[in-house]
Amino acid sequence: MGTENPGRPNFPMRPSSTPFASALPTMTPFSSRGPMVGSEASNIRPIPPGAPPTMTPFSSAGSSPPTRFSDPSVPSPPITSVPSAGGPFQQYPTPPFPSTVQTTPTRAPPVGQPPFQPPANQISAPPVSFRPQSQVPPVPMVSAPQTVNFPPSSLNVPQPPSESLFSGPRPNFQPTLPPPDLSYSTTKSTFQPPFPAYPSKQPAVSQVPSPFPAQQGSFMPPPPASSSPFSSQQGSYVPPPPIAAPLGYQSRDQMQHPGSAPPIGGIQTLTEDFSSLSLASMPGSIEPGLDYRTLPRPLDGDVEPSSFVEMYPMNCDPRYLRLTTSAIPNSQSLVSRWHLPLGAVVCPLAEAPEGEEVPVINFASTGIIRCRRCRTYVNPYVTFTDAGRKWRCNICSLLNDVPGEYFANLDATGRRIDLDQRPELIKGSVEFVAPTEYMVRPPMPPLYFFLIDVSISAVRSGMIEVVAQTVRSCLDELPGFPRTQIGFITFDSTIHFYNMKSSLMQPQMMVVSDLDDIFVPLPDDLLVNLSESRNVVETFLDSLPSMFQDNVNVESAFGPALKAAFMVMSQLGGKLLIFQNTLPSLGVGRLKLRGDDLRVYGTDKEHILRLPEDPFYKQMAADLTKYQIGVNVYAFSDKYTDIASLGTLAKYTGGQVYYYPSFQSGIHGEKLRHELARDLTRETAWEAVMRIRCGKGIRFTSYHGNFMLRSTDLLALPAVDCDKAYAMQLSLEETLLTTQTVYFQVALLYTASCGERRIRVHTAAAAIVTDLGEMYRQADTGAIVSLFCRLAIEKTLTNKLDDARNSLQVRIVKALREYRNLYAVQHRLGARMIYPESLKFLCLYGLALSKSVPLKGGYADAQLDERCAAGFTMMALPVKKLLKLLYPSLIRIDESLLKPSAQADDFKNIMKRLPLVAESLDSRGLYIYDDGFRFIIWFGRMLSPDIAGNLLGPDFAAELSRVTLHQHDNEMSRRLMGMLKKLRESDPSYYQLSYLVRQGEQPREGLLLLVNLLEDQMGGTSGYVDWIMQIHRQVQQNA
Amino acid sequence: MEDLFIWLISFFILIALIVLIVYQLMCLADLEFDYINPYDSSSRINKVVLPEFILQGFLCFLYLSSGHWVMSLLCAPYLYYNVRLYTRKQHLVDVTEIFNLLHREKKQRLFKLAYLVVLLFFAVFWMIWSAIEDADD
Repeated sequence: MGTENPGRPNFPMRPSSTPFASALPTMTPFSSRGPMVGSEASNIRPIPPGAPPTMTPFSSAGSSPPTRFSDPSVPSPPITSVPSAGGPFQQYPTPPFPSTVQTTPTRAPPVGQPPFQPPANQISAPPVSFRPQSQVPPVPMVSAPQTVNFPPSSLNVPQPPSESLFSGPRPNFQPTLPPPDLSYSTTKSTFQPPFPAYPSKQPAVSQVPSPFPAQQGSFMPPPPASSSPFSSQQGSYVPPPPIAAPLGYQSRDQMQHPGSAPPIGGIQTLTEDFSSLSLASMPGSIEPGLDYRTLPRPLDGDVEPSSFVEMYPMNCDPRYLRLTTSAIPNSQSLVSRWHLPLGAVVCPLAEAPEGEEVPVINFASTGIIRCRRCRTYVNPYVTFTDAGRKWRCNICSLLNDVPGEYFANLDATGRRIDLDQRPELIKGSVEFVAPTEYMVRPPMPPLYFFLIDVSISAVRSGMIEVVAQTVRSCLDELPGFPRTQIGFITFDSTIHFYNMKSSLMQPQMMVVSDLDDIFVPLPDDLLVNLSESRNVVETFLDSLPSMFQDNVNVESAFGPALKAAFMVMSQLGGKLLIFQNTLPSLGVGRLKLRGDDLRVYGTDKEHILRLPEDPFYKQMAADLTKYQIGVNVYAFSDKYTDIASLGTLAKYTGGQVYYYPSFQSGIHGEKLRHELARDLTRETAWEAVMRIRCGKGIRFTSYHGNFMLRSTDLLALPAVDCDKAYAMQLSLEETLLTTQTVYFQVALLYTASCGERRIRVHTAAAAIVTDLGEMYRQADTGAIVSLFCRLAIEKTLTNKLDDARNSLQVRIVKALREYRNLYAVQHRLGARMIYPESLKFLCLYGLALSKSVPLKGGYADAQLDERCAAGFTMMALPVKKLLKLLYPSLIRIDESLLKPSAQADDFKNIMKRLPLVAESLDSRGLYIYDDGFRFIIWFGRMLSPDIAGNLLGPDFAAELSRVTLHQHDNEMSRRLMGMLKKLRESDPSYYQLSYLVRQGEQPREGLLLLVNLLEDQMGGTSGYVDWIMQIHRQVQQNA
Repeated sequence: MEDLFIWLISFFILIALIVLIVYQLMCLADLEFDYINPYDSSSRINKVVLPEFILQGFLCFLYLSSGHWVMSLLCAPYLYYNVRLYTRKQHLVDVTEIFNLLHREKKQRLFKLAYLVVLLFFAVFWMIWSAIEDADD
């Protein structure tokens, strides 16, 4: 259609592949179809083997196409019918079909993993055998498309009509439908005739068009799927997309000269590559609207977009860099129609699985190869010319000389002959060892400094004891032995320094009580080398809890203590861990109780509560960053502690906030222990700066996350680790981009714990497109949601919560409306709600976001401190972790606990996520709710006492708020603990504490679990169905 | 004669205000082009913000007390804006957020600059006017 065509010709290579890629998720016809049906429909009702219903639409549709299009459109029906029957493919009477079938499997798989993994269902079974495992065989492709493409190409026209039939009046159940056989025969009969005609057409259509039709076929169906499962089967069948594209990517050279690929022109695409939900009321049901069971849900967690890596295999892994869409718009006008954030989410130090570590390269004598003009680091996308003597920068296209030591000859295809020994030329992520030019001072040693509150409430909560024990147990694992430095300050109304000189037997404590004029009592020895003073440090940590156990001081001179710590650390920088329990009450930076004035809420002054009260904290944070000090705040108070102010310290120094409201060592000790240990022992990059470069014509304009900007595009990160991600938005500087590809390069210059200065470089390429539809197809929900989240949280700092939520909703609506307008003309959309397949979860995440702790409700829905702490945390979370938090998993476990022989190895099968609705909870069941930060274990009212007894021991009848979960001596308990352990191991960045709750236990159940079932309607907030309806209505207004 | 003297003083005050604003704008521009770091830039700007506010307040008061209430009225919006910034504690630039606010801060100062240039034009006009009148007498 019109929208597609203009874009295509420009990108001979990509176009063909992209539709494919985006199409895939739904498409992988066989595998995905199963899931679709399985996850959505099959729960609802078993689909009869014959699956007759599918046919009806066709028979009705069949009549219309001929008249309208005088085209052999019908072929598709037969195709569709087969799957529904779940029968063998041999059924196909005509030769072309078998061939299609064969192609499908091979083709489909590479690109997209179906977003739903089929929950092993009746229907999915047959398809399974077809699920393609192999890579795309380039060879057969050419022939395959030909056979295939014919039916689809003709098919797309008729489809819409049939489509509308489906969604509208279509009854849910089979009874009304004609028997399958009948429809079969009719379709067949209509269908056969076209074939003779086909050959004549073939030349014209050949190869190219096929991807689109295919796409279409596969695409459409899912939509109906939501309205009725049957129709979904119908579509998913259409022969798989023959891809011409992957061919192009086989070799690096080809990639770099896309122009060399055969141009594709004049493609007729009558695609409907979107998903849709029918919102019309279904006959037979009184309730208007849609069935909640059919709505899309990310029950497989976050699926990284594969197209990004598929198209540019040398890109860095998406765990390091994710673009909100991997199709970059070429003009301002296109950007303004996109409405969603355009940018990237970067997690420079993300943990790589075993075997995929980033290679470290030492250029030693050569020096690091960089572009003279734009300072880009050498990467896989640079091209070598002039017999290997020059290289062209891929970002600014300047021709640079290749240094003598780096020279290598080129082979016939223009590739360097030493390519396989040069990881920087084949991998998207590498790490260079930086020479002395990259240092302003000798690399600093890893440095940990502890600032510990010892006032009475800290002592009572038991926090000091847990901290001292944990630090002591981690001493061996602190990174950077033997250079690691360590130091301590404790404070209440006075500040206590500790001399830990290695020659001492015991630490010496020095008390400074002059808070107005802080001075450091000793020039050095407050900060000591851990390996030299190990004994003193251990003695100190052993005695710390007892030293203050009788302390009755209720004041906190936090500000002066912070200044003192800053003075001690400013020579070297490092990581400052603050353990804070009492609202700062003395000296500079004292804070007062805020937020108990209810009248402020809902007014224009509301946001001030979420901002630091005293400019001291911002100023301090700026100074700390300047001296390379990163701050992590651990807050424990049971009362208001003004996290908004304290968190500022972490925010601008690249740190994070851990908040344990009403900390009690007996209950929360384990969580603190794990998280502190993780904080101390994870690999940390010191005194780091990060910059992201991108090609000419675009520019990163705003950055979101926990860091401080040192210049317009340089992020200062005093201490950064694998659990931190940063988001940025880009904008076009030129009105029209003429290049076809744009490159991004993230460079993180840091000091590794071993004392080496290093540069970690991630490079990625993305295509520039002229077509909005393409941008939507290649969108990455995870990155978009991550950016939305950060923007919304930032907005709460200057506006009311309501405004932040509304602006989020408005942007989603605008985006969907724009998308609808793309297709409204060519397709009869009727009352359907359409959305791109790639963004099918966007609405749900939007809802989740507006119900997340930093944004939800009003005054009463979350404590001010909790809100602020969650805000600081979510500003730093990597995409996967954030999505998990937004849409937590709910898992039923009682069955797997009872299964006699079930071994832990089918962990994956057990961990079947359920939709977050109250209906998912069965009162006979036992469920785990896991949002990545805590477990909530829900005991159904009618759960067999046997299970409860085994898991909880003798106190299973007691009130669960007083019961803690620990292992009992029986198989079931062991298995549960094993399960929890596995879940925790899957993401060690936070420790999930288990909260037990029994059905009907009020108000605990409501607070802990029910309020988190975000698809349900809850005190004034809309449920998922209402939300969709609401968005749909708004999309249609002035659409 | 007295009038001429007042116009002369106000002329110099206005010149001083314009210099202060231009200085702040230069600091912001330097920051944007990465010639200085945000710490220096913001401390330099913050040093002259209060003098600017006080000087402007004084100018407004001078006009009022010397009976040039029209000019005083013309100065009032500027004064009101400054007072509002001050009471909301938004008058100083924030080093941690300076890059995000850069655009706004620059625009705000450009408006101030334009405003001051208009005032300067009036002041010069009245100064010449009163000089001629004095000469006529």
